[in-house]
Amino acid sequence: MIDTVAVAAHGLSKSYGRRRAIKGVSFAVERGQICGLLGPNGAGKTTTMRVLVGLSRPDAGAARLLGEQSRLAAGVLARVGVAIDGPAFVPHLSGRRNLELAWRAGSRRWPPPALNASLELAGLGEAVDQKVKGYSMGMRQRLMLAQALMGAPEVLILDEPANGLDPGEVRTLREHLRRLAAGGAAILISSHLLAEIELLATHCVVMNEGAVITAGSLEDLLGAGSYEFEVDDAHRAQEALLMVDGVESVDPHGDQLVVSAPGRTVKELNQALVTAGVGVGAVRSRRSLEEVFLGLVERNSAAN
Amino acid sequence: MLRIELTTQLRRVRSLMLFGALAGIVVLAGVTEASKAGGRGGPATFSALNFTESGLNFMDPVLFGLVIATLGSIIGGSDRDWGTLRYLYVRPVSRARLVAGKWGAMVVCCALTVAIFIGAALLTGFVVFGWHPFHRSGGDLSAAAAVGGVLEAGGYVSACLLSIGSLALALGLLLPRSAEALGISLAFLVGSAILDNVRSLHAIVAVLPVHYWLRWTSLFDGGGGGIALGLAVQSATVVVVMAAAYAVLARRDPAA
Repeated sequence: MIDTVAVAAHGLSKSYGRRRAIKGVSFAVERGQICGLLGPNGAGKTTTMRVLVGLSRPDAGAARLLGEQSRLAAGVLARVGVAIDGPAFVPHLSGRRNLELAWRAGSRRWPPPALNASLELAGLGEAVDQKVKGYSMGMRQRLMLAQALMGAPEVLILDEPANGLDPGEVRTLREHLRRLAAGGAAILISSHLLAEIELLATHCVVMNEGAVITAGSLEDLLGAGSYEFEVDDAHRAQEALLMVDGVESVDPHGDQLVVSAPGRTVKELNQALVTAGVGVGAVRSRRSLEEVFLGLVERNSAAN
Repeated sequence: MLRIELTTQLRRVRSLMLFGALAGIVVLAGVTEASKAGGRGGPATFSALNFTESGLNFMDPVLFGLVIATLGSIIGGSDRDWGTLRYLYVRPVSRARLVAGKWGAMVVCCALTVAIFIGAALLTGFVVFGWHPFHRSGGDLSAAAAVGGVLEAGGYVSACLLSIGSLALALGLLLPRSAEALGISLAFLVGSAILDNVRSLHAIVAVLPVHYWLRWTSLFDGGGGGIALGLAVQSATVVVVMAAAYAVLARRDPAA
């Protein structure tokens, strides 16, 4: 039986000296999923990724990749593509030579199975045979992605992969990652580009102050059938909306109401408000990931 | 990993400059002494073999040590300096393979350093002073015997250099920057060379590898005394230093 969970974090905790970087981090990424790992700076995203690939030893908990315990230089890492803490190469060697050395370091025969596809994605052209020290930041970033992808990995762990890429390159990367996920790869990707994650990810893990504050499908996180109403009488609007079949919750946030009503259209809800004599100033049918993320982090920080 | 380390390190401008400087020193010395060929400038100018032996004496211990400490510290610390260490670990490369590969590259560098120097000295000496028997105060040594002595001396010097090379390599692996490893290695080398001249500190000096480095000179006196002890001290130094480096590395969090 094939285990569909490709990346699993079970209660991971890690401290650096007195500073606790992550505490009790648990989540899972299945094959075919693209999971966005989100959080403000210092939330523990990179530490979590480091622990997952064995670059950091957890104080508690365990990380598993493709069903195997992950630790430094674990054999399973040969099936994992990693881009973490930014690009790093031997500066006086060419891009191609760097890829070759990295591949051979894993005691494997050159060339790797997906070399051509990853070089095409990197789009370095003839520059791939020039010394890396002459590369721009964007070129190094693309070479790093080629390095992570050249082995046709079953799991990809990518830390801020779109840094330094132009919009066209970001779109090409997005399409490439989607194809890999459709082929059964599991992808964990951290990024501050929330709009990009919203376009790409199927699932999300949101972290704040070292802990996971929510995890699940992007659809659930953004709330399908979720609406925001600006109304002139929040109390009466709340009463009216709760009378409508299918409305699960009505939460006031300032002068706005966040309504969860799967299966109900905005027109139906608006109709109910107008009938109740409530003035509707504005309505949005779906929250952006940015709004959800900032709201979650703000509430979590306040609660802590 | 050995091939990867050698490919990475031997293509660096810094490494090539060091090897070039070694050969350059020999050629420069030969050119400046050319007018004294035939022994008019001292024993070194009698023949290519005398010139080579004198060259080894001039370079050992501090100048050879300087070259090897530089190479050792950059081999040990380069992956950390470039940031490529994390990408080696996730290929995956174990710590044991990493350390073994780097140490293997250090062995090759020690041998290469001495080989380049001896090769350049023999060639320069042959062109400038000619191919004659090895001249010494107790009677000349045949060219064939002297060549054997030079090769043995080269092997011994290489083994000696491996001790300071291993120290620099270990420090390069453990310290945040290779420049720090180089500084400490050089301080150890120069400090050892100074202490070696202080007779009252013999008990301390006797455990320092540098104390035994010049014992190869006895190979040209028909002896060879103390070579085995010298090799034993170098070996012990290498084992202690590399074992300590591995032990620290294995306990340390890779991301630290």
